[in-house]
Amino acid sequence: MAAAIALPETLDLKAAAPLKAALLERRGAAITVEADQVRRLGGLCLQVLLAARKAWDLDGQSFSIKGPSEAFVETTRLFGAEGALLSAAIQGAES
Amino acid sequence: MDELEAIKVTFFQECEELLADLEGGLLAMEEGAGDLETVNAVFRAVHSIKGGAGAFGLEPLVRFAHVFETLLDAVRSGAVPNTVELAAVLLRASDILADHVSAARGLGDVDMGASAAMAAELETWTDPNASPAAAAPVAVEDAAPAPAPVVDADDAIDDDGLGFVFVPQTISVEAQAADTDLIPANVWTVSIRPKSDLYRKANETALLLRELNRLGPITATLDDSAMPPLEELDPEAAYVTWSVRLETEDDETAIREVFEFVDGDCELEITRGEAPIAAVLTSLLTVAEAPAIVEPPAELAPVEIAALAPVAEITPVAPAAKPAAPAAPTPKATQVEVPGPGQSVIRVDPERIDRLIDLVGELVINQAMLAQRVGEYGIAPSSNLAMGLDELEQLTREIQDSVMAIRAQPVKSVFQRMPRLVREVANMTGKQARLVMDGENTEVDKTVIERLSDPITHMLRNAIDHGLENPEERKAAGKNPEGVVRLAALHRSGRIVIEVSDDGKGINRERVLSIAVKKGLIAPDLQLTDEEIDNLIFLPGFSTADKISDVSGRGVGMDVVKRSVQALGGRISITSRPGQGSTFTLSLPLTLAVLDGMVVDVAGETLVVPLAAIVESLRPKPEEVRPLGPVGSVLAVRDSFVPLIDVGRTLGYRDTSPHPCEGVVLLVEGEDGSRAALVADAIHGQRQVVIKSLEQNYQQVEGVAAATILGDGRVALILDVDATINLRRREGGAPRPTEPTLIAAE
Repeated sequence: MAAAIALPETLDLKAAAPLKAALLERRGAAITVEADQVRRLGGLCLQVLLAARKAWDLDGQSFSIKGPSEAFVETTRLFGAEGALLSAAIQGAES
Repeated sequence: MDELEAIKVTFFQECEELLADLEGGLLAMEEGAGDLETVNAVFRAVHSIKGGAGAFGLEPLVRFAHVFETLLDAVRSGAVPNTVELAAVLLRASDILADHVSAARGLGDVDMGASAAMAAELETWTDPNASPAAAAPVAVEDAAPAPAPVVDADDAIDDDGLGFVFVPQTISVEAQAADTDLIPANVWTVSIRPKSDLYRKANETALLLRELNRLGPITATLDDSAMPPLEELDPEAAYVTWSVRLETEDDETAIREVFEFVDGDCELEITRGEAPIAAVLTSLLTVAEAPAIVEPPAELAPVEIAALAPVAEITPVAPAAKPAAPAAPTPKATQVEVPGPGQSVIRVDPERIDRLIDLVGELVINQAMLAQRVGEYGIAPSSNLAMGLDELEQLTREIQDSVMAIRAQPVKSVFQRMPRLVREVANMTGKQARLVMDGENTEVDKTVIERLSDPITHMLRNAIDHGLENPEERKAAGKNPEGVVRLAALHRSGRIVIEVSDDGKGINRERVLSIAVKKGLIAPDLQLTDEEIDNLIFLPGFSTADKISDVSGRGVGMDVVKRSVQALGGRISITSRPGQGSTFTLSLPLTLAVLDGMVVDVAGETLVVPLAAIVESLRPKPEEVRPLGPVGSVLAVRDSFVPLIDVGRTLGYRDTSPHPCEGVVLLVEGEDGSRAALVADAIHGQRQVVIKSLEQNYQQVEGVAAATILGDGRVALILDVDATINLRRREGGAPRPTEPTLIAAE
């Protein structure tokens, strides 16, 4: 059964450590990351998400970003990370 | 105040510090002491001002700072030799930069004509045509606009209506691109390697990318190869780096400005062209750039030129060519302009500190009252209660010292404005003056510092305008045509003393005397000592300048200075030696808040004598007291005689003085080093008292510095020792000092 995790509105410096912890807790099973509330995505949380994506790929489990907000999509593109985060695994993406 | 405004306020505060650093560095350069580090510091100061100003869109400031910075950059790269003449120009430029900062702050205007002229002058210095090493400026990059050749300067003068000669950098870039056709004119590769500090300081790569996106379309490629697996990842460390392709019509400066605020927290490389070319350039540079340098050192220039030559046929600045194109903007790591690891400094609203100081003052009074009550109950000094009170007293005192230390500041903040004043006044009066400052780090309470500026300004103006001679006169007198004005601060007798001295002609006593007589300020037959004549200039309505000069004769005489100083509980005096110069001495209390004093009884009144002034207290023997004149007497103390002054009579408490042997004598020393023996009836002891201004609450009383509230709630007056001595001296009761030290003031 896929675990789900809802991302907070602001993914800044303060959000990075809790995000890492929350993801680690759910390691080992498929995960759905709900990104519909995100209004700000910073570089540190981006790193955590990228590392998580790699970890889940390594485990052979599915890692999907669900319903990313416009801000999430825009920032991810800006970062040049759409390939890693938004490509195959988008569910209900807006674009 | 909204957030942006608050940041702006901080920016201007920083500007003040940066301008001070700038001036300090330039002064060092002017004295020939400017090493590379000084030049770097000077550059950083201008660069930081420009950066902040750019963020707030302060256009005129940015433009001027840019021209300034360009020249400084050329200096630190060695393209423009660092000479004393250059430093003088840079100093004047720093004055104009300060004007721009003030104008941006809404405090005053900039003389745009002067600014444009200065910008043009700076560009002449930067102009490679003027420099024998024509190729050298090629290495100068960063913000370097095309070092304006003559042609351009002509074209560009006043082209922006703001009075700036400013050649946009894009021209050179495009022109060069046209020459080469090899590197697309508007494609840049920006390599961003954030450090963890960037995030820790609440900066954000996303914002940087977004800012870049504003300059033109970007494509970012991220590199996460350095990123550890999730479980080992430090969520607050930076691992990912980016290479961004940017298409923009803007120049490198504009790109660099995006990163202004993360300078030092982010490794940055900006190269023109697509990534592969950029990579070549970068690798070439990294080979040569082994040490972690901010800037490619000057020697690097040939390497860069060689590397670029095949791509872009760069000929060293042909004056005819439209803009003399420098090499393509050189890649460089932007680590340089780090304003030093942030010292942790808290900015606190001064009102909060003032409130705290007031409260501590109350605490001190309260503690004294408590101690007195306990004393009245006859509790043994060895009892727990008494001992606890002693500890309380010590703690109170420590708190007080610490609180006062918060407010203590070096006088530097006032002094640093003075070099400019001296330059300007010297220019205006056609004199040559050099300012020598001493004791800038002398600390004094903030309440005092704020009020030092005006008197110092006036005294300095006066010293140059009236004190120093013209260069010709000086030469004729066998002096260096350049006069020296010295500004010094020091602690003496628990006060701060500010001295302004010049090596000019000294006071023309005959003239001063005749003017004072002519104006009816003194009786014609009055016999005055030299010192007294000198001090006539402090009389209201006295002005020696025959013609009112532009500088110091604005109707504000030295009497106004004297009054404002007195209002602070200070004193001002002058000593002068004909042909050798004059010295103004200004003394002020270190703080306007507390004082260590000796509590004495005089004619039934309780007075406080500032402890700092007291040398010793003694009971005189009859044979030590010698009469002098009809009423005066002197006391023999260790081979010298000092005038005996009965405080009670001087202050008008009594008409006849008791014999000094019946009381206690306090040997005091005035600020000028003169000594006197004050006669009191009894000594109560030593105590710290909180100063309550008499001027503010009542009015100034001669001989009394201030008042305080004692432990029993009574008001006691604090004696103004110097004024008491002078009072007595003037009344003629006490003998005139017999020793030269009494006039003193050296």
